[in-house]
Amino acid sequence: MALGLAALLFIVLCALPVFYMLGVSLVGADGAFSLNHYFRLFAEVRQLDLFLNSLLLATATSLLATAIGAPLGVLLARADLPAKRALRILLIIPLAVPPYVMGLAWIYMGSDSGIIAQATGRDFLSPLTYSLTGAVIVLSVSFYPLAMLAAEAAARGVDARMEEAALLVAAPRRVLWRITLPIAAPSIAAAALLIFVLALSEFGVPGLLRVPVFTTEVFTAFSALYDFGAATALAVPLLALALMAGITARFMIGERLLVGRRGARNRSPLSLNSRRAGLAVTIALALFVLLPIAALALETGRAERMILALRSSVEAITNSLTLAFVGATMAALIGLLLGYARARMHRFAGTVDLAMIVAFAAPGTVIGVGLIGLWNRPGLMEEIYRSRLIILIAYLARLIPVAALILAAGARQVPASFEEAGEVAGAKWTRVFARITVPQMRAGIIAAWVVSFILAFGELGATVLVAPPGQATLPAHIYTLIANAPSGEVAALALTQSAVVMTLLALFAVFVFREKRLHS
Amino acid sequence: MKTHAALIATLALVALNACAPATSMDEVVIYVSQDRVFSEPVLLVYEQKTGVRVRAVYDTEETKSTGLANRLLAEKNNPQADVFWSNEPVRTLVLKERGALAQYISPQAEGIPSVFKDPQGYWTGFSARMRVIVYNTRLVKETEAPRSIFDLTDSKWKGQVAIADPRFGSTSFHVAALYAELGDERADEFFRKLKANDVKIVPGNSVVRDMVARGEVKMGLTDTDDVNVAIEDHQPVAMVLPDGDGIGVPVMPNMISLVARAPRAEAGKRLIDYLLSAEVERMLAASEAVQIPLRAGVEGPKHMPALSSFKPMTMDYDKAADRVEDVTKRLQTILGL
Repeated sequence: MALGLAALLFIVLCALPVFYMLGVSLVGADGAFSLNHYFRLFAEVRQLDLFLNSLLLATATSLLATAIGAPLGVLLARADLPAKRALRILLIIPLAVPPYVMGLAWIYMGSDSGIIAQATGRDFLSPLTYSLTGAVIVLSVSFYPLAMLAAEAAARGVDARMEEAALLVAAPRRVLWRITLPIAAPSIAAAALLIFVLALSEFGVPGLLRVPVFTTEVFTAFSALYDFGAATALAVPLLALALMAGITARFMIGERLLVGRRGARNRSPLSLNSRRAGLAVTIALALFVLLPIAALALETGRAERMILALRSSVEAITNSLTLAFVGATMAALIGLLLGYARARMHRFAGTVDLAMIVAFAAPGTVIGVGLIGLWNRPGLMEEIYRSRLIILIAYLARLIPVAALILAAGARQVPASFEEAGEVAGAKWTRVFARITVPQMRAGIIAAWVVSFILAFGELGATVLVAPPGQATLPAHIYTLIANAPSGEVAALALTQSAVVMTLLALFAVFVFREKRLHS
Repeated sequence: MKTHAALIATLALVALNACAPATSMDEVVIYVSQDRVFSEPVLLVYEQKTGVRVRAVYDTEETKSTGLANRLLAEKNNPQADVFWSNEPVRTLVLKERGALAQYISPQAEGIPSVFKDPQGYWTGFSARMRVIVYNTRLVKETEAPRSIFDLTDSKWKGQVAIADPRFGSTSFHVAALYAELGDERADEFFRKLKANDVKIVPGNSVVRDMVARGEVKMGLTDTDDVNVAIEDHQPVAMVLPDGDGIGVPVMPNMISLVARAPRAEAGKRLIDYLLSAEVERMLAASEAVQIPLRAGVEGPKHMPALSSFKPMTMDYDKAADRVEDVTKRLQTILGL
């Protein structure tokens, strides 16, 4: 029953807004059924450029982010590094900073008065600042932590005994390439797919760096032409691209996912050169964490700007915290049930994956307008629409698919035989699920919660359309203030938002650290 | 663990709902696309004066999110807002055309010149901004600065001019006004020349101003309030009101409208009366927004010329609104957006 409820919630919260908007896109100007919005997709030369740009941006970002993140993850799992926990948290920071803020930092770095020009005496970034390459770099820095986390978790899941055996006959490097990485590859590829979809559906960075892609085109259809039908039709190629990526990934990975074992938690005998590992991690920290923050801080200039920005945002911060907390918890819970159901499916499992990927790729604005259409109706629905619950619903619409994708992977790593043993012993399904399955999925649940929380905390596209009067979230609040502010204040606000997320991340690290110690 | 999580989620939901604001008789809901820093103080004064609770939704900059006009259109079947306050005409005109606005002629609108009022009462203009040329005072001498937007196509300024994306916000008003004034052929020609002169097209008017202030380009087109914020921040910029002796200076009034089938229409009308008062024009003139009053006899901002001292560019607003889609598409092709 719980599974049925979760499926129902997915359909109502995530699928319905998208279907509602697809319905809108099939209505012509005269109110009758019409395919005009779709004919346009094929009639305009411009559409082909958009398609290529979107594809290029998502593919290149996915590859570059994985190329940065995966090695870092392997190092965190298999190299002898000091203060690993702190390093991991520091390296996750770029994910917690909204991509748009990363984009601002990138812009501030360029220009002849930017931080790079001041440090090196030459301004070699400017030609790249507003370009597809620039967007790829910014988004890769924003999303590499996903590949890093996936690679680390997967590498840790590799059974140490296999590496031990291989080390008898081969050098560590060879063992890494031939044993550890191939086993970890499916998880890394899954993260690459997630990054592809994130880059595909990102609006802030291509908008800022003036790269025309489908998300910016959807935005133009809404914002310049007020044409909901055309906007939704323009989102369809984007969904198709996500679908294609999902199918490609499925072809490459299939159902192959490593089965972790309790024994796999043994300390790995594989230890990579710690000096070189330390150097790599230091460079990564300097480039991806310190440099962007320094660029923002430099632009902010005066410290009192930060304090002022923080003071004006207290209410929005509390609002965002509460909503993102509840949203992430609910998304993780519903995602857990959905992910579990999908992992234990024999048929249609692939279809479910693809549905989640497509739902996740839907642009926030399309979901936001869809939510208004669905929920703003007289009666009980209107009561919900007028309250903060609608923001929560917007979060869930965006987050349930990603939580379910992460947790489906987690659930597949729990051997069905464990559950069968529980059932043979006479335990009911709920008991088996709560006592055997869930504890084994702990890492996945935490990962899904953290990713959901971060994405909820930064969500703008849908929430800004539905937030009731006086209930702005932090991103919405910041964007309403940015409108006219001098760039110093914009940088201060951007830093504020990042600082809030970083503080949370640090608190979370302390909390998890404590909990782990208790467990051991 | 699952039951715990479910319990926490349920409790949190209940808590969230409990804090949701209750609707009361003495309140009014306004959607504001005027910058929050400028509009919030004005609305606070109304709250203090009348005791009516003003619940506002503020817009983000037009290039950053899809904004309130879309929300009003999406909510059209079951309106939640009573009043819409726009800081430029295009959005209001689109909403009028789509039937999202209601007629209301406020007694307070009397002193406002009729060019800034909809004859049918769907909108009333007040406090205006102008579209101006902003230039970097370290790179361009005052005597050298262009006096007309047509000077921006001069090869002397090749690669040195920035404008905001003309599909959005106040720039979309400016181009609509230009197409209405010049006709398609001459307007197309102007933008083709701008493009040939390597005009930089950036996400917003504040970005234009920042690029000029930093010296990345020498000049650009932007709004008076954007320039003023930079001047008060002691940045090296100055502005020129263009074409005062030619086609006229593009004047961009705020527009206030009653939302069609507003749930609290009476409260909405009272708020509109207040926003159209001389007091509000005075407040907006004195603020950093330096908006010029449309009424004669209201004291304007210190460093801005009065409306009566230059030739404003007048336009048929409804005609311009009809052309928004067409103009957008023309510019997409000409400027390669």
